[in-house]
Amino acid sequence: MIRFLLNRFGQSIILLFIVTVITFFLINLAPGGPTGVMRMDASPDERQAVIERLGLDQPVIVRYFEWVGNAVTGDLGTSFNSSEAVVERIAERLPYTMELTVFTIIFSVIAGIILGVISALKRGKAADHVINFSSVIGLSVPSFWLGLMLILLFSVELGWLPSSGVGPRGADFDFGGWMAHLAMPVLILSTTVLPNIVRFTRSSMLEVISQNYIRTARSKGAKEFVVLYVHALRNAMIPIISIIGVLIPRLLSGAVITEAIFGWTGIGTLIIEAANGRDYPLIMGITVVITLVVIISNLLVDIIYSQVDPRVKNMA
Amino acid sequence: MNKKWWVFLSAALMALFLAACSYGGEEEAEGEATASSEEAVSGGKVSIPIVADPTFNPWHPSAYAESNVINRVIFDGLTKPGKDLVPAPDLAESWETSEDGLTWTFQLRDDVTWHDGEPFTSEDVVFTFNDITLNEELGANSASYFGQVESVEADGDYTVMFNLSSPVAALPAYLSFNTEIIPEHIFQGEDPWDLTSFNKENPVGTGPFKLKSYTSGQSVVLERNEEYFGDAANLDEVEYKILPDANTHVAQLLSGELSIFALDDTSAVERIESADGVDVDGRDTNRFFWLIVNQQEERFQDVKVRQAMEHALDRQNIIDTVLQGYGTIADAGITPALSEYYTDDVKQYPFDPEEAKKLLAEAGWEDTNGDGFVDKDGENFEIIFDIGIQGDLEAIAQLVQQYLIDVGLDVQLNTMDWNTMIDKVVIQRDYAMTLNWWRYPPDPDLKAYMHSDFAEQGNNIPAYQNEEMDKLLDAGAETSDVEERKEIYTEAQKLMAEELPYMFLWYPQEVQVKRSDIDGVPELAFGDTLHYIQEWYMAE
Amino acid sequence: MLGASIKEDMEEQHRKKEKRRFVLLTRLKQNKVAFLSLWFLVVVHAVVFIGPVLWPITPDELTDAGALAGWTLQHPFGTDDLGRDVFARMLHGGRVTLLVGLCAMLFSLIIGTIIGACAGFFGKVVEAVLMRITEAMMAIPNFFFVLVALTVLGTTPFMVVLVIALTGWVEIARVVYGETLKWKEYEFVEAANAAGASAKRILLKYVVPQILPSIIVSGTLAIAWAILTESAISYLGLGIQPPTPTWGNMLQNSQQYIWTAPILGVLPGVAITIVVLAYNFLGDGLRDALDPRFAKK
Repeated sequence: MIRFLLNRFGQSIILLFIVTVITFFLINLAPGGPTGVMRMDASPDERQAVIERLGLDQPVIVRYFEWVGNAVTGDLGTSFNSSEAVVERIAERLPYTMELTVFTIIFSVIAGIILGVISALKRGKAADHVINFSSVIGLSVPSFWLGLMLILLFSVELGWLPSSGVGPRGADFDFGGWMAHLAMPVLILSTTVLPNIVRFTRSSMLEVISQNYIRTARSKGAKEFVVLYVHALRNAMIPIISIIGVLIPRLLSGAVITEAIFGWTGIGTLIIEAANGRDYPLIMGITVVITLVVIISNLLVDIIYSQVDPRVKNMA
Repeated sequence: MNKKWWVFLSAALMALFLAACSYGGEEEAEGEATASSEEAVSGGKVSIPIVADPTFNPWHPSAYAESNVINRVIFDGLTKPGKDLVPAPDLAESWETSEDGLTWTFQLRDDVTWHDGEPFTSEDVVFTFNDITLNEELGANSASYFGQVESVEADGDYTVMFNLSSPVAALPAYLSFNTEIIPEHIFQGEDPWDLTSFNKENPVGTGPFKLKSYTSGQSVVLERNEEYFGDAANLDEVEYKILPDANTHVAQLLSGELSIFALDDTSAVERIESADGVDVDGRDTNRFFWLIVNQQEERFQDVKVRQAMEHALDRQNIIDTVLQGYGTIADAGITPALSEYYTDDVKQYPFDPEEAKKLLAEAGWEDTNGDGFVDKDGENFEIIFDIGIQGDLEAIAQLVQQYLIDVGLDVQLNTMDWNTMIDKVVIQRDYAMTLNWWRYPPDPDLKAYMHSDFAEQGNNIPAYQNEEMDKLLDAGAETSDVEERKEIYTEAQKLMAEELPYMFLWYPQEVQVKRSDIDGVPELAFGDTLHYIQEWYMAE
Repeated sequence: MLGASIKEDMEEQHRKKEKRRFVLLTRLKQNKVAFLSLWFLVVVHAVVFIGPVLWPITPDELTDAGALAGWTLQHPFGTDDLGRDVFARMLHGGRVTLLVGLCAMLFSLIIGTIIGACAGFFGKVVEAVLMRITEAMMAIPNFFFVLVALTVLGTTPFMVVLVIALTGWVEIARVVYGETLKWKEYEFVEAANAAGASAKRILLKYVVPQILPSIIVSGTLAIAWAILTESAISYLGLGIQPPTPTWGNMLQNSQQYIWTAPILGVLPGVAITIVVLAYNFLGDGLRDALDPRFAKK
């Protein structure tokens, strides 16, 4: 097990390295640097001053190694546009993205398992068809369009839910407001993963139900309820944990659009800001952090998986 | 058994649903309660949208529009835009220029204190200009307006003198435009751009409001400065909400969560006009939209080609469809907002495709092969039309393209993101045609945009060169006498309209939207009204 | 003797393949939703590829009806914010959108098939390297990179297609890899190998034809995915740029008219949804039809 994890970790480091190289050279060699971000009427002298101040007169290779040198010590540099430490800017925003994704995972897993189980139990019947059909629709609607339609309905027409923002925090925090602000973003973000969880649950449930020990349990006269929950669902859960690991990158990708629609000030809106503002250190910082988030969450999923699945345990 | 599933599921969904509804209900009730308690003249709060995190330093190279609307409330400049658009006193009480025009002397107020209690003196002004603005290594915002300022010196605690290399009549106007004074006692010895404790956390200004709280990505809240040198503000608080999406601005204005702002995108204006409790007003600003062709290319140096393009455009239709009517056709660069200098007694270019084709033919461009496009020496008039993605520019460009195609110009649209456009068009000057706009301080000095000194590098992007124009612009910039300047700029406008260094499109009006319960807002552009925010109050 | 048995084996495989194709269609016919989707897609493609030729109004011209005109016989879907015919723009936009989807799918398919087949067939180092790359691609939230790449490199149609394709090949590579592993164990492939056929020949002649049905399924789903991605990047202003219409950029442009002319957003939104839906149903239907367990149902 330890060897497996170390192996995964080694791969992750290489992955991280490749990602930073590609991103760094991509942004630095593209036309339209940070000086283009200035007001259109900035003079050539003003632009030159900015280039020198930001150290952009150095060759790209030199800058990359300087950046790597600092990055390994945990220093991701200073944002071009706000002069704040990149680490700080990301630390401000990352919790909101985590909040959004964690709630989405919780919601999608609960709803996905419920719907998947219903679908499996009602195989071939109307409920199954409705759930299947809705899953495919969920996968097919452009999520930003659906988001706008929801805003039109719930915020503009009915006035039930706030259209934008993360809601009041700190002293003014209230639970109801928090949930109200989360409702639509979570719903929209879950369309990127919920259909997969439903389908996955359905098929693993079907597989488990047809197996011998379930039949044995039934024949022993165990109550249907017990059979379903204690035996079938528990075993069907195991592969579902693994699929969550696969879905995390997709969830973070989806978060970019979701955050943009609902003005959710997480890391997705920050990357848009950074890319538009050609804030090279910030783009690099976000790239590193988001890759790390995926690596760590996948490691966590691996560990949990190995703990619950007896087969993996035995393998180690 | 199976039924139970459905019961459970629908019960759960109902619960969620009800929770959401009841929350919404509460919120509305709360909103009403606060509205009714805000009847007094003093007190209350306004909310203004901004699109990104601000920087609390007016000179910081990354302080853009979202920072400007805050900084002009926290800080003060020497002058501010007057209600009659002539520079009005702010930190300076009066000013005068020397005989030769090479020195401007400003008398400062002696009753101003910084938000931290330190007194404001001439040293702060001297520091702001000598150490920040005029320090070329820093590349401060707006520094280009002060290219002719050699130094600023203090004469006692409350007098400062600006020493110039050549006369600048517009200096008091430039000093009213995003050039607020920052405190020497905090910045002395610090790197002004890296001083995050000030620029991002705790700004100290002299204005009518001071910072109360700032949450990145969410909001900036200012509270009344009781020690303000003028009459203390009526409002208790000013809140800036960070909301990147324009649709959200409209939604929150309609629901009363936002109070006042300038609507960048006018497409929602009909909906807002029909709403109760919201005022919509058009305000003149010092902006003009233009279409330019790169006059480094020989084919664009022929004035007939430029005149033909101007005739080809149905500008009124563009104003009506894209700007919802908020704009007037422009003939030259000086806007009607500068009413003292503006004249429309110049050459006009009504929409006339036939005239456009005639002018092109006179310039040697005719459709000889019948492919619908004009040609000369066997080559079609092909133009790549570069456009940066921002606001209405893309929509306008698509209309302009169609009008130009209609008179036989083979125009291809090439859209790109804003930074790429600046790099390609403004810095590299590697373009054939583009469309954009200028905003400038309330003074008719357009030297930076049309003088041949800036044709190679700088803001004369079309690379227009004309000796007569240079002479007029130089004379206008150096003369402080208003009557004399009027004459000069009338001449200049006539020449601009004849020569079309830029193909002037229109003077857009700002669409100012405001909740009706806010009063005391002067009839100025939104940015300028913020200089008078201490006068705003909540009506009944 | 050996040669003869290989030949027999191949003929047997060939027959099976023919049978499988036939079976695929019959099975697909049994799945009403998938079969309906197939016909629907044929009609939609015919309309958007032939329609623009027949419809007299071009998508860019400014009509006399003015901006945001209502639905009339002359302009069945009215006009847009600039006074252009929405029906013409829907037709042309559909053509561009579907072309982007098809091109991106083809690109993804080529990359995915090469990588998956090579990894599965050659094994060892090739397999290790290629599959690690594939896994790495899966582990990256690629939208962040799509966004940065398109912002700094610009949004020409080629870049848009390329970037979508570069993020879309991973699923295909995994499917092809698994299938290749399966088929390379079959006797007729091993025999060809033993007979000294070149790797390229074996892959192209024996392996790829066997996994073609799986590739078709992946491709169908990849088109759906590419169309959705195009609309998502259009939402951020990074898709194909106006005046060239696509359903994605029409949808994005309609956003600002959400208050005054919401119908502008409904048309392309619905169009994208049902086309993607149809591709998804078709893909699912094809997959089920290929599933050996199908017979049991």
